[in-house]
This record gives sequence, C-alpha cells and structure tokens, in this order.
Amino acid sequence: MFNNKISRRNFLQQTGVWAAAAAAGSMLPNIAHAARDKELNIYCWEGYNSDDVLDPFRREFDAKVRAEGLTSDPDAVNRLRAGETKVWDLINVNNPWAREMMYPEGLIRPISRERFEPMMKKMMPQFHPPYEWAMDKDKKELLGMTQRFGPFSFVVNTDKISRGMAEDQGFKLFLDPAMKGKYGLLTYDNWNIYHMCIAADIHPFKKHSKEEMAKFGEVAKQIFNGAKNLTDDLVQMNLALINGEIDAYMTGGTYTASPARFDGQNNIRGITPKSGPMDGKGGIVWIELTSVVNNPDPSPLADEFLAYVQRPDVSKKVAFAEGTYNPVTQMGSEDVLASFSKEELDAIQWDSLEEEMANSVDYDINPDYAEMYDLYSAAKREREG
Amino acid sequence: MQGQANRFLSWLRQPGVLNAVPASLFLLIGFAGPLLMVFGYSFMPPKTFSLFQEPTLANYSSVVSDSYYISFFWSLTLAAATVVILFFICYPIAYGMAKVFGKWANLITVLIAVPLLISENIRLFGWVLVLLKNGILDGSLQAVFGFSASGMLYTVPAIVFGLVYVYLPFMLFPLVIGISMIPDTLKEAASDLGASRWEVFREVELPLAMPGIMIGGILTFILSLGSLAESKILGGQTVVMIADDIESAFTFAQNWPKGSVLSVLLIALSGTIVILLFRRIDLDRIIGRR
Repeated sequence: MFNNKISRRNFLQQTGVWAAAAAAGSMLPNIAHAARDKELNIYCWEGYNSDDVLDPFRREFDAKVRAEGLTSDPDAVNRLRAGETKVWDLINVNNPWAREMMYPEGLIRPISRERFEPMMKKMMPQFHPPYEWAMDKDKKELLGMTQRFGPFSFVVNTDKISRGMAEDQGFKLFLDPAMKGKYGLLTYDNWNIYHMCIAADIHPFKKHSKEEMAKFGEVAKQIFNGAKNLTDDLVQMNLALINGEIDAYMTGGTYTASPARFDGQNNIRGITPKSGPMDGKGGIVWIELTSVVNNPDPSPLADEFLAYVQRPDVSKKVAFAEGTYNPVTQMGSEDVLASFSKEELDAIQWDSLEEEMANSVDYDINPDYAEMYDLYSAAKREREG
Repeated sequence: MQGQANRFLSWLRQPGVLNAVPASLFLLIGFAGPLLMVFGYSFMPPKTFSLFQEPTLANYSSVVSDSYYISFFWSLTLAAATVVILFFICYPIAYGMAKVFGKWANLITVLIAVPLLISENIRLFGWVLVLLKNGILDGSLQAVFGFSASGMLYTVPAIVFGLVYVYLPFMLFPLVIGISMIPDTLKEAASDLGASRWEVFREVELPLAMPGIMIGGILTFILSLGSLAESKILGGQTVVMIADDIESAFTFAQNWPKGSVLSVLLIALSGTIVILLFRRIDLDRIIGRR
C-alpha cells in the first residue's frame, strides 16, 4: 500500500483508505486532547487580537494563539450557541451577557476566585470583588475579569455645540427641531434603542408599559427622520463630524471619540448627560468581561491569558491597542496610570471620566428589547430621509 | 424491478456521471445544505435557535404584515436602475473593446479588472473621502471655483453611483463577449441591402448581442439586489436595502427565523427572475458549443 508507484487504481484505493482514516480520526476527540496544551483561541472585541498583546504571550507560553475580532455582542453569543464553544477558549463581551445569558445557558464556565480576586483588588475601587457583573446570579461563582470600560451616550463637535450645553440637554438634543439633518446615528442597534428610551424619558432597563412603548416608537421615528446619516462605522461617523457634515452623533462615547481625539481632534468629545430617567441619571457605561468558554476540550492557557492581561504593561497595551482607545479598570493601580502620557489620557477623556461614570448607570438587559427592536427597525425602514 | 436496478447501475457507471459525483456531493453539502437549513429555519417559531421544533407560518405572516415591502421595493428599484444605467454606459465601451480599440482593448480590460483586487468597502470608502462635505471634490471646487458641491453623500443617487461603480465589470465583460459574437459580414450585408445605421443596430447588432446583454443584466441585477455596502457607506442608509434587514434580523434582533424568511423570499424573487430570463437565452451558443 505504501509503495511509491502510483497507478490509477491504487491511487483510488489509497485515497479511499486515507479518507476513511481521516473520518475515523475526527470521531476520536481524545487524540486531539494533548495538542491543546499549547493552543488558545480567543474571540474578542478588537484590541485583544492585536499582535502587541498576543506576541509576548505566544513567546512566553510557546503557544499557538488564534484571535478573532467580533463586531457585536449578540453575534458573538449566537456563534457560541451555534456550537462554537468547541472552537473558542475565551470570549470577551460586554457586562450583562455573562451573568444573564451565557452562564445560565452553559456557554461559559466559572474561574477560580482564589486566583483572580486578588488581581481584582488592584483595579479601580468600583470594580473590586465581589463585583456584581463578574459574579453569577447567586453571587457564588466568578464568571470573568473586567478590563476595558467606558461611558457611552453621544458625541458632539464642541466647536458647534458646547460641552456644557450638550450635558445639560442630554438626549433631548436630538429631538430639538433645530438639530434636524445635523446629526448622525451610529447604528449599534441595541445601544440606539437604550438611548432612544432615554430621549423618551424612559428607563431602558425596566419593564415598560404600553404608553411607554408607544412613546418609544414615536421618539424612534423622530430620531430616524431627523438623522442626516446612518452608519455602523465609527471612523466614517467621526469623519462626518470633523468635516462638518454633522454636528453630533447619537450612540458614542470614549470608545468612538478616542481615535479622533488621539489624532489631535480634541473638539470631538463623548458626552454623558448630567441627568435623565434612570434614577436621575442620563448616561450608560459599558464594561467588558472576559470569560472562559465552556469548551468540551478546554485549553489550560485560557486562565493564564486572563492573568497575563492583568499585568501593568499588558493592561496599557490593551487600553491603547489598534482601532479604539479606552480606559481600563487596572488604571486603579499607580504604575498602570503612570504609563499613560498626557495625550493618551486626553484621548480617553480621563479629566471627566469619574464625573461621567457617576452620571451613568451600568449597561444591562432590556426586558422589552424584542418588541422595541421591531418598533426600531420599522422606524428605520420607514425613514423619511 | 431487477431490470430497473440494472439500468440505474449502468447509468451510474457512465464516465460522465462518475466524474460528476465529487462536484455534486460538494455542491449538495456546501451549497444546497445551508440553503435547506435557511428554508427550515424560516418555519421555526420566532426568536428561537433550534431547527427541531414544530413548524409555524408565524414568521411569514409577520414579514408580510410589517413594512418589509419598503426594503424589497428599494432593493428592486435600485437594482433595476443600476442595470439600465450600466447598460448605457457599458455598451459603447464594450463595442469599442470588441470592434474598434484593437490591441488597446487588453489595456482597458486590465484597467477595469485591477480594482476588483481591492476590497469593495475600501473602494467605497475612497469615494466617501471624495464626496464628503469639505472633502476632495467639494474642497477643490471651493478652492478653485468658489462654489460648494456638498450634500452629495448620504443620498439615493450616491447609492446608485456606488452600485454602478462597483458592478461595472460584471456588465462590461459579458457585453464584450456578446458584441464580439456579431459577425461584421452580417452588418455589411444589412447595409448593402439598404438598412440605415439605426436599423442595423436594432435589427442585427442588438439581437445578436442579446445573450451577452442578458447575462450582464442578470449578474448585475442579482448582485445589486443583494448589495449592502453601497447603501451603508455611500448612502448613509438613507434607504434600507433588504440585505440590511436580513443582517439585522440575524444579529441585533436575535431572530434567525425572521432573517431566514426574508432570505427565502429574496432567493425566491431573484430565482424567479433568473429562470424567466434564462428561458430566453441559449447558454450553449454563448460558450460556442453550437
């Protein structure tokens, strides 16, 4: 069978044998088990997949690390649901998903409190253990580690609209008839829905009455009809803001404004409203949580990577990786904070971060999301441009 | 019964059938399989993620009662407009390439094909920089002539422009093949028999080039119908295309069954159009088998 002469007949025979062997091999997962000691697959928001972050880890652990960037939380969770728990070892999404969806659905597994809680104690005070979003609903298991976070409401060009005025008006700015055709809508659909709720004086993360739903529908229509442009690309939105196509855009914050600010455009600024319908608060903040996927064939490197990104130099790299720049919870420790330059701190609006956090509530699950999404998408389709 | 089985076996042993087995299996698994899954999902209860539940028509009725007709309308209208505009732009170029330019035609082919190597999103984003307020075009006009040309971006014409720009090669090359199939002798004969230039074009050229026109038309129509990037990047989603609705349903709405219904309807629509049009052309003749 292994002689080198290949005739047409034995080629077919060999192909058949090899195909059968390959098929049999795929049914024996244990064979692959040993190989995963040096392998790690990360599914994350952009930044963690940067070679600046991954290469030192690859060298230190002699590991083969594959990282793929995700473009939306629901998309990422969909892929785990569709069976990709077999593929990934770590998943990095925003705070509510782990506790509310992924852990109850068995998509992620808890990490060691003993090992990781001491690291959490070095974070900024509000993220110290037991941190609500990192725990399961029974407050027993630790479901992941926080790192990047940021206030997320809207962005203005301060040459056109002053910071003070924008903070005072809040999301009502986008209902002002004078703003019609002068703002964009960054279509991160789930965030748009929360922000439209706030514009309609509704708490987005509570159960809603019929009247509130109707009011939401009306505000959604008004905001879509008044928007100059819609895009899900933050670079394009910043460009429109810088070039004067628009004066502000709804749904945005440090995450979207920072690339423009770091480029010297300090007139582009994320705004957190001073007040609003969420127990008096008017802004929302997101916190990323990196969790270990419930992979049937887990990689031991998943926990190591979680610990690795807590190191001061790596934290800084995560904060200032490619694409967008964001504060990290590790800035609670002096040596991490000291590694940021004045320009870098200015890009992530460090001067107002504490105040903005105080005026914001944490990103959460909207119990009426599905019904609101129908109203939202109808308003988008029926938009009178 | 035995005879039938034997006939089937001897049919199966034909070289043509045997050779087609790997490709057919590949198509069945890689092409028909996912489509069947989408079809299956369209009958599952809304906002669920499993294929093994009691089938329902709820998604179809909600899609019909919602305002999705607007997205279908825009996709169909913009696709049709793109095809018509592309025909008028490409026909003269194709004629030149097939009959007039000689060896220069190769250079033009390369020039038109090279941009295809660059991602569509990047090329469209390049146009954003050109059309943006205070961008390359507007800024240059202001500096040189003192008037502004802002307001071109985020409009329906900007979307059509993007579609025409991106899909031009898909109309042009089939047209070149179509036109090069017209024997010059036939046109000469028509002229000798007293036909005017217009009559030669209408009675001889156009019918003979029709297979190329049809293929170019179908290709560009189907591609435009499923397009998304042009309306997102150049149009600022001033209108929502059906492909955008499908994407939203699968992602932010977390409603795979609804996304599947929209996909099934779009496939059915484009499939019907292709089948109706392909009845009128003879593929064998175009690839020169007859």
